[in-house]
Amino acid sequence: MMLDRRRLLTSALTLGAMHAFPGLSLAQARPLVFATFTGSWEEAHKAVLVPAFRKANGDAPIVLDPMLSVDQIAKVNAAKANPPIDVMLHDPGPALVAIGQDLVEPYPVDKSTYFKDLIPEAQDAMGPAPFFQVVGLTYNPETVKTPPTSWADLWKPEFKGKVGITNLNSTLGTGWLVEIARMRGGSEANVDEGFKALEELKPNLAAVAANPGALATLFQQGQIDISPGNFNAIQILKARGVPVEFVAPKEGAIAFKTTIHIVKNSPNRELAFKLIEAALSPEVQTTLMNSPYLIVPTNTKVAMSGEIAKVLAKDTAELKKKFVFQDWKKINEQRASWIEKFNRDIKI
Amino acid sequence: MKSAATARMTAPGDVTSFSLGLALPLGLVFAIFFVLPLAQLLYLSLHNDTAATVWGLGQYIKFLTDPFSLAVLGSTLLLGAEVTLACLVLGYPIAWLYQRSGSRLQTLIIMIVLLPLLTSVVVRTFAWIVILGRQGIINSVLQSMGLIGTPLRMIYTQGGLIAALAQVQMPLMVLPLITAIGRIDPNLSDASASLGAGSWRTFFKVMLPLSMPGIIAGCTLTYAAAITAFITQSLVGGGQMLFMPMYLYQQASTLQNWPFAAAISIIFLFAVLAIVALFSMLGRRARGYGDAR
Repeated sequence: MMLDRRRLLTSALTLGAMHAFPGLSLAQARPLVFATFTGSWEEAHKAVLVPAFRKANGDAPIVLDPMLSVDQIAKVNAAKANPPIDVMLHDPGPALVAIGQDLVEPYPVDKSTYFKDLIPEAQDAMGPAPFFQVVGLTYNPETVKTPPTSWADLWKPEFKGKVGITNLNSTLGTGWLVEIARMRGGSEANVDEGFKALEELKPNLAAVAANPGALATLFQQGQIDISPGNFNAIQILKARGVPVEFVAPKEGAIAFKTTIHIVKNSPNRELAFKLIEAALSPEVQTTLMNSPYLIVPTNTKVAMSGEIAKVLAKDTAELKKKFVFQDWKKINEQRASWIEKFNRDIKI
Repeated sequence: MKSAATARMTAPGDVTSFSLGLALPLGLVFAIFFVLPLAQLLYLSLHNDTAATVWGLGQYIKFLTDPFSLAVLGSTLLLGAEVTLACLVLGYPIAWLYQRSGSRLQTLIIMIVLLPLLTSVVVRTFAWIVILGRQGIINSVLQSMGLIGTPLRMIYTQGGLIAALAQVQMPLMVLPLITAIGRIDPNLSDASASLGAGSWRTFFKVMLPLSMPGIIAGCTLTYAAAITAFITQSLVGGGQMLFMPMYLYQQASTLQNWPFAAAISIIFLFAVLAIVALFSMLGRRARGYGDAR
């Protein structure tokens, strides 16, 4: 019995090592890993994008690994030489961080069939945008009888104690602050006017939610009646029967491009490119635009229809007119100090 | 066999060395997955720039000289104290009742106490949003009774947060209390009464000191759980009430300022360790009481 102890230990260690690092034995044969966002994005990509990609590429194996942008960056950063993710999806802020940290491969624009069909704002050579996220005004139609038309409506006295916002941790919160500043003569480089406006909004504020998801649930509880909100998040609530409507304010709805990137040193570069091509194709974008997904397309060949045509824009020309795009490079420069100021000043 | 026999004869104290050997696998897991990351955290926090290339104590100086950051730390520690106190005041009678009731009622009580542990923290926290909301249970009851005209704002307030945290963490207080109070000889309170002490005097002079080990254990658990409860703090407390977990999340995830986030967690860790050390010091003194019986 005693005799075997050493040999037992060696084999146990080997077994353990093989279990802990399966990459030792099959380094190259990993399926394409696409880090999408959690929630409705994952559902939409699983149901539409993945089947389209597999059909076009001989059932190539693909794994969806949904996680937040920040986690994607952290994971790739931890193993730059052999990244565990092939395709990343990012909001504008994190996208610039990922590019700045040299985690992203330039998109092979020349090889791409669809890149030139995207609207100019979506044509980013470091990673094109397969869809937009749109932020406008959301309100409860049961208590707010005349639909709001402008960001300025949030300051109306009738909404005393009825307005909800999020803090600046989210893309939504930061983008909205910039828009408020712009409305009063500020810009991405100067949001002082935005903070002054926030100060004046305090009597109306019912809640400062920690994230957009928490904000949406406050409609459900009747805690707030009006707030800036994400078009897609509102569609999910609406589908669940919550009384909530979305309007694009007359100043323009804020559009964030969500960009998709090939990870640097990815062992599946070719398949990653194919997946992104599928995401840019008019077929996939048309399906995703329709109910129940209602994802705003970026390919000019997609004809707008349904809820998106009704609430947001009938075609690309109108979309460009009604959407406001922001310069996140400028925003990122000062975001830390804005968050600090928000932390200190906004107490209700 | 031979060597084992001699060992047994010469050194009976060797029993401890055997148990250390058996703890080796767990120790290894701890070293790799706990000590190592902690060391990495410390290493990261000792850099002055976000890319972690320049060594220095800048992050600590920044935190410890910034009144705002210190206020966040202070309000987090205070929140823990308030929740712990609420749990103790509300939990002690339950534990007391448990020891004084029949076995059927005991099963019921233990079930009610354990019930919160069987649902996820997220679910329990959302329940509190429903209870405290503008159209929530409390507001609609008060309104239908005509006690208030407009709904009270309870969600996203310190009071609402304390109530929610106290409920969510209650089992951590009640379970150690039940054990501690169960160990007290019931004859002692009878003896105290027969010697002429009133029931309050008996409680403060006999029962409370004897249940001290349970109180200390419960307070330590509740306190640690309450100040680190990121989910409940952000969902019921909202986005404008800043506590340490949210502060460091913000720095790490939104701002990608890992060295400052690492420094915040190290400072937070030491603040919590100091409080836990204080509790366990009190606990050691309390054990004196416990042994005195």
